[in-house]
Amino acid sequence: MLEIGSLVDGKYKILNKVGQGGMSAVYLAMNEKANKQWAVKEVRKDGVKDFEIVKQGLVAEIEILKKLSHPYLPSIVDVIDTDDSFIIIMDYIQGNSLNIALEEYGAQPQEYVINWAKQLCDVLGYLHTRTPAIIYRDMKPANIMLKPDGNITLIDFGTAREFKEKNLADTTCLGTVGYAAPEQFGGMGQTDARTDIYCLGATLYHLVTGKNPCEPPYEIKPIREINPSLSSGLERIILKCTQRDPNDRYQSAAELMYALEHYEEIDDKYRKKQKQKLSIFITSCVLTVACVIISLWGFLSAEKKKSENYDVILGNVEVASDYYEAITTDPTRVEAYLGSEDFDGVIEFLIKDGELNSEDNSILVKLKGGLDKTDNRGYSTTINVLEELKSANLENYQRVCYEIGEAYLFYYNIGVEKDKYATAASWFQYARDKYPVASMYCDISDCLTNISKFSKAEQYANLYQEYQNLWEKVKKLQTNSDLYDDDLKLRIWNEIVNMIRNNATEFCEVSSQTDILNVLATVSTNANQITNTFLQENITKLQNNIDVTTTKVQSVTKDKINQGGV
Amino acid sequence: MNFIVSANTDIGTTKSTNQDSLSVKVINTPQGRMTFAILCDGMGGLEKGEVASASVVKAFDNWIHNDLPTLCETPIEDYMLKNQWEKITTEQNRLISVYGASQGTRMGTTAVVMLLTQTRYYIMNIGDSRAYEITDCLKQITEDQTFVAREVALGNMTQEQAECDERRSVLLQCIGASDEVYPDMFFGDIKENAIYMLCSDGFRHEITPDEIYEKLQPNVLFDDNTMNRHATELIELNKQRYERDNISVLMVRTF
Repeated sequence: MLEIGSLVDGKYKILNKVGQGGMSAVYLAMNEKANKQWAVKEVRKDGVKDFEIVKQGLVAEIEILKKLSHPYLPSIVDVIDTDDSFIIIMDYIQGNSLNIALEEYGAQPQEYVINWAKQLCDVLGYLHTRTPAIIYRDMKPANIMLKPDGNITLIDFGTAREFKEKNLADTTCLGTVGYAAPEQFGGMGQTDARTDIYCLGATLYHLVTGKNPCEPPYEIKPIREINPSLSSGLERIILKCTQRDPNDRYQSAAELMYALEHYEEIDDKYRKKQKQKLSIFITSCVLTVACVIISLWGFLSAEKKKSENYDVILGNVEVASDYYEAITTDPTRVEAYLGSEDFDGVIEFLIKDGELNSEDNSILVKLKGGLDKTDNRGYSTTINVLEELKSANLENYQRVCYEIGEAYLFYYNIGVEKDKYATAASWFQYARDKYPVASMYCDISDCLTNISKFSKAEQYANLYQEYQNLWEKVKKLQTNSDLYDDDLKLRIWNEIVNMIRNNATEFCEVSSQTDILNVLATVSTNANQITNTFLQENITKLQNNIDVTTTKVQSVTKDKINQGGV
Repeated sequence: MNFIVSANTDIGTTKSTNQDSLSVKVINTPQGRMTFAILCDGMGGLEKGEVASASVVKAFDNWIHNDLPTLCETPIEDYMLKNQWEKITTEQNRLISVYGASQGTRMGTTAVVMLLTQTRYYIMNIGDSRAYEITDCLKQITEDQTFVAREVALGNMTQEQAECDERRSVLLQCIGASDEVYPDMFFGDIKENAIYMLCSDGFRHEITPDEIYEKLQPNVLFDDNTMNRHATELIELNKQRYERDNISVLMVRTF
């Protein structure tokens, strides 16, 4: 027994007795030279039957501990072997052990316990990874010192060994053996790192619930049965640590450490939250799909209704302006313009009588300017129906423009050729890309406009240049006419012949008579080749026209010759 | 109701001290003759187990002298005994652990305490010592507060596994080494011509219930000599079978 105030090894002054173990006592000592406090553990030789055996154990233990260096372990600095005792100098750990905290305050706050658990895990991981691995085997609150800075230190490596060497046949009490894992009763060979995991789990259970697992009901219940406010994540961790079968526990301190660091994530609340998030996400997905389906359905049925309306209106057309209603109902459809199998389009309707008069003209012009539509509330808005058609389907738009242009060209009864062409060209210009013939008509229209302009201005040089152009265009029109179907061919030829007839004199100036006659002859020959019986009447008309024109051309030359002769 | 009593204890073959303590007394009270018996199986480091067991036996001896007379002035109710005995147990638990701490060790003891009145038996148990009632069969009254017994009760272990399990000597609790002690209490009507037997775990590990019944049935035990002889025979049988623990047995025959 060391006396208070005595000097050990000439430098450690014993200040106070701070602890008493089975065969050892711990004193607080002061190294007076260095003015530093140390713990002095004295293992007495008397009173111990086989001190040599104990000493061997101790020496082995100390040899291990001396090599250890970890912030949560006390380090051993010196070992002194005296006659009647064995003295170990080690770090003095300030503070109290956790079992004192448990006695005084009961269950410890969960955050603290988890923090301690991480530090203990750190220490155990360090011990387990030594070679050979050190199994602590005696984790319990009494062996954990809580320092004033809130950190812990794992103390007392000796007691575990004391217990280990006990005769197992002796009656022991659960409370005295700590939180022994089931395999700890079965001999030392079977204990491994997972034994420490068990004891740590039991320690955490005791700390966080204040219930000693070594007291009735002698079992580790889910911690929330004791305190429902505890984390279910921690509950899972403790239950997993304290499984009976070592294989069901965490297999290493590192695994447990990971779980402790993420305990909130395995928490029910967290899982619930995640589940909630997921269900909100799924709900919004479903709602989105539902909305898309509903709006698609709504859109499609609206379209269907619209098209039903459109068809009904077109089926009951009485006057040309009725077409407006159909067009404003669905500006993107072309049936109102071009007609379908069941009904005529507006163009066909207007030229049914064989001509396009000024009244019909105003109807078509209005299409260009836009149609008024009255909505549900009585406000009227102007819809540029052709623009809408254009943006919906360019091809259909071009076709409509072409058809209207043709209607003007062939049926407009305005009389003045130039104006007819100009009006037609104002439609054809939109269809130029798709219909080459439209392009040619536009060119012809340009020529006619220029001719009119130049003739008014009496610029004869330019005028004849324009006639030259016009003749070239007419020839080109004739050359390209083969591309079209019979009906259109006839109309084109008709236009060519008319053009020649109307401008015979001028053409003869810019071209040879033979050339002109050749064109007429070619048209005539080609016309004769058309066998379509429905068009025979038209062909006959054309041939007559050609005959008249031929005569006119010939007469122009005769006049010329006559004039020349004069 | 009359009582014949016997008490036998043996240090066993291995141990240097006998840590078992026991006491049996036949008492004359205003409510007729009573028998009080207690058997404690001490344990602990540094051969101090006998201190714990003796301390508990003495505490109950004091109770007989100081409190039982008062209790006998009125009819005894079960709860009165329960309260008083629990109080003694808690007090002893505290004293023994404080003493253990002062000696730098931990020690503890089991306890099986029995009071037989003219009509009732009152038994309290902590640990793995047992009380039996032997009539035309051997009936165990107490339940072992051991780790293995609990495992069997929970269905984790069979009775056969429990008997050879290394943990069979691990108690769930004992007086002196547990933070809190929760005694089991057993009350019942006393039978005539029956043997009430208390024993330590050393007495029963190596011999079978049939062997116990054969030697200790009421039909063969008519006087204290026979009781002592048969008890000694069973103790010797235990030792022959290499029982290492202290062996104690205590019997009360009613007639």
